[in-house]
Amino acid sequence: MGTYAARRLLWLPFLLLIVTFVTFALLRVGPGDPVQVWLGQHQNDEVRARLRAQLGLDDPLVVQYVRYVEGVVTRLDFGESLRYRGRPVSELLSKRMLVSLQLNAAVVIITLGVGIPVGLFAGLKQGTGLDVVAVTIALVFQSLPVFITAPVLLLMFALKLDLLPASGWEGFFSPNIVMPALVMGVPGIAIVVRFVRASVLDVMAQDYIRTARAKGLAESTVQWRHILRNAMLPLWTIFGFTIAGLAGGTFIVEIYFGIPGVGLFAIESFFQRDYPVLLAIAVITTALFVLANLIIDVTYSLLDPRIRVGGGNVT
Amino acid sequence: MKRKIFRILLMGAVLAALVGLVACGGSDEPPAAAPEPTAAPTATSAPAAAAPAATAPSEAPAPTATTEAMMSAGQPTAMGESCAPSADLTFDDRPPQGGTLVRLFADPPTLDPHLMGDVTSSVIGGEVFGGLVTLSLDYQPVLDLAETCSISEDGLVYTFVLRENAKFHDGKPVTAQDVKWSIERAADPDTLSHTAETYLGDIVGVTDKLEGTADEISGVKVVDDRTVEFTIDAPKSYFLAKLTYPTAYVVDQEQVTDDGTWLEEPNGTGPFKLATYEIGELIVLERNENYHLGPPHLESVQMILSGGSAMIMYENDEIHLTGVGLDDLPRLLDPNDALNPQLHRSPQDFDVFYIGLNVAEPPFDDVKVRQALNYAIDLQSIAENVLDGRVSPATGVIPPGFPSYTENLRSYQFNPDLARELMQESKYADALASGDFPRVTLTISGSFGAAIPTYLEVILEQWRLELGIEVEIQQTEWATFLQDVNDKKYQMFSLGWIADYPDPQNFLDVLLHSDSQSNHTNYGNPEVDRLLEEARTERDRARRFELYNQVEQMIIDDAPWVWTWFSGEGYALIKPEVSDYFLLQMSIPKYRYVYFNQ
Repeated sequence: MGTYAARRLLWLPFLLLIVTFVTFALLRVGPGDPVQVWLGQHQNDEVRARLRAQLGLDDPLVVQYVRYVEGVVTRLDFGESLRYRGRPVSELLSKRMLVSLQLNAAVVIITLGVGIPVGLFAGLKQGTGLDVVAVTIALVFQSLPVFITAPVLLLMFALKLDLLPASGWEGFFSPNIVMPALVMGVPGIAIVVRFVRASVLDVMAQDYIRTARAKGLAESTVQWRHILRNAMLPLWTIFGFTIAGLAGGTFIVEIYFGIPGVGLFAIESFFQRDYPVLLAIAVITTALFVLANLIIDVTYSLLDPRIRVGGGNVT
Repeated sequence: MKRKIFRILLMGAVLAALVGLVACGGSDEPPAAAPEPTAAPTATSAPAAAAPAATAPSEAPAPTATTEAMMSAGQPTAMGESCAPSADLTFDDRPPQGGTLVRLFADPPTLDPHLMGDVTSSVIGGEVFGGLVTLSLDYQPVLDLAETCSISEDGLVYTFVLRENAKFHDGKPVTAQDVKWSIERAADPDTLSHTAETYLGDIVGVTDKLEGTADEISGVKVVDDRTVEFTIDAPKSYFLAKLTYPTAYVVDQEQVTDDGTWLEEPNGTGPFKLATYEIGELIVLERNENYHLGPPHLESVQMILSGGSAMIMYENDEIHLTGVGLDDLPRLLDPNDALNPQLHRSPQDFDVFYIGLNVAEPPFDDVKVRQALNYAIDLQSIAENVLDGRVSPATGVIPPGFPSYTENLRSYQFNPDLARELMQESKYADALASGDFPRVTLTISGSFGAAIPTYLEVILEQWRLELGIEVEIQQTEWATFLQDVNDKKYQMFSLGWIADYPDPQNFLDVLLHSDSQSNHTNYGNPEVDRLLEEARTERDRARRFELYNQVEQMIIDDAPWVWTWFSGEGYALIKPEVSDYFLLQMSIPKYRYVYFNQ
């Protein structure tokens, strides 16, 4: 297993190189440049050319790219923002990541907190009316896009009922977090419900469940000890994906609710052509995603001895 | 003289959206005050100027009798050879000092004055730093760090003598060397200032310094410890106005060279010290007891950066002032509303909005077509019915109240018959009749699928109805728009301009001289160019403004633009206990005037 993890880790730098290079190239090939944005309507070709040269924006793409990678690798330096001039990207970004992290934590709590019990319930009651109702409701919520749910929730809770603030951010323990967390979390519930339900059904069809029942165990013991415990395992994968997304922002929701997280920051940075910030966001989200998946894979085998990673013939 | 000076920064979002102008550099007056998460894109032009619009709020008023005193203090006087009066003002009628003014604000993109090109940064910069000159409350250059200033006979050499009591926050006196070093730092290629060329470029030798071919700026000379001499390349009377911009602020050489983190506690010369700056959370400005123009009345100013709903915070007494959005306005205008007495009108920004016509491209290569477009739209009606009177039809390039503004221009009035007649006389008359009229596309900036402003749709509809001209709208994100409009790629575009410094040169010369890179329409009229050049160096103010009026009329007649709006007045709420918070039309350091009357 150590070799498996090591092998996966070795891939990470290559993946990051590819991601950053594509981001890097796309940004520079696209129209508009940060110096132009600085100058605004005060166009002056000489000034623009001078500033571009000074910033190294005129160097060949590869030279710029190597310089960037060198900074990140040797000094862990993501450069300075071109919008908040002179401020290190890391300082600007960490603040926003903290916000997105909290919002996403609330989302995970909603998704898993509602999704797991409902999924288990639906699985155990498979084929009954309750199962159908639970799954249908979950599916309806999953099918509603954010740009429908967000305005409707806003209309209801902020404007009509005046219960929740319409936008803004005041930390994890404030009513501001409720609506964005709901908007982001509710569609995910259906995924968890279906996943858990399928997993429960899968386990219920196993021979050892029949054996458990055959040897006369109480139904509750069968459900709690044998079905639930085994059915929970695949959830770890979902959990992994969710955790990986934690630091990344969710663009639409953050814009809609005015939450100063990574998503909103990325959008603003894009419109200002703040290359270093955008690159850092790409690097960090990619790295987190890969690392989270790796950790999930590795811990998976610890949780379930039947799974041996890198072992060959076991799936 | 106006009895009250108000100001508006609010309506920003509204106007930005409406008029398709966007705010500069990211724009930022306090986003906080805008309750809706409109990620309004941004773009204007003019940093120095006032409100870029992206989001909302405020600035507020509280005019008193002292206003008049200040205004007159700001008037240029005829005394001696001095080129500007002093900004020094005394207030004997004020109650004891103290108190903390709280407001919402936005994160400034930078605290380095030499890199400032946006309003948000300039507001903080102007309180913490200072330069030789600043602007008075009626937008005249007045002396700040300098005690006297004189101009040589030929108008080329400006000599400033520093005030004896001009000191940095740490008590160190400001010397002529500090001034020279600061200007040279602003123009140093390594500083990466994008404003140095615009604001300092008239000084002899600045270009060499910017290009890296000179170590020093030959046009800035230290005469003695307190005397510094600037030589400019031509007798430009707007030079002093430019020198009020943050690019020319004085910084502490020792601190800047020795300390990489100097911006955390900048040693400026302004009325306030930067006591706290936590990104995204809070800025606290603290009174500078030794301020050379007399210490501010306020103990401190707190600027909340973490956002919040401005109206609610105002009503909860959490902040002292806020801009007013359209949603709240009807309620507040009701005289029976408890907040009504706290509502103040803020004056319009110095700006102009227009639809640029690329005169090098058909069908706009015919002046008659351009004039017809102007005559075919009923701006007055659109302003009243579509924009609720929040704007006024632009009658020229120079906004009302701005230096050289005149009401005596012949501008376009709604006249559909004349418009049709002009079209018939144009070389495109046949093409229009036969359906071969060139395709016309209007490009506007806007992102996030921002709605097309209704007033533009009405204008397009009027062109279709009155002239039979179909215009398509195309929307482009700001950075791309900027690049293309600068490359003169658009046939027709919607844009606005906000004053950088109070001089007509900043509008007419910058936007419409054929050599200016900010002239996006390919417009060029040799006579206009000649008059503009003459006005640059004309030293008689009255004669100079006459030239500008003449030029403005010629431009209106040539119609490189379809004129749309001057922005209108807005509203702000200010707590009754706050006095002398002036609502102004440009960004001018002003917290030092504010005091609590109880």
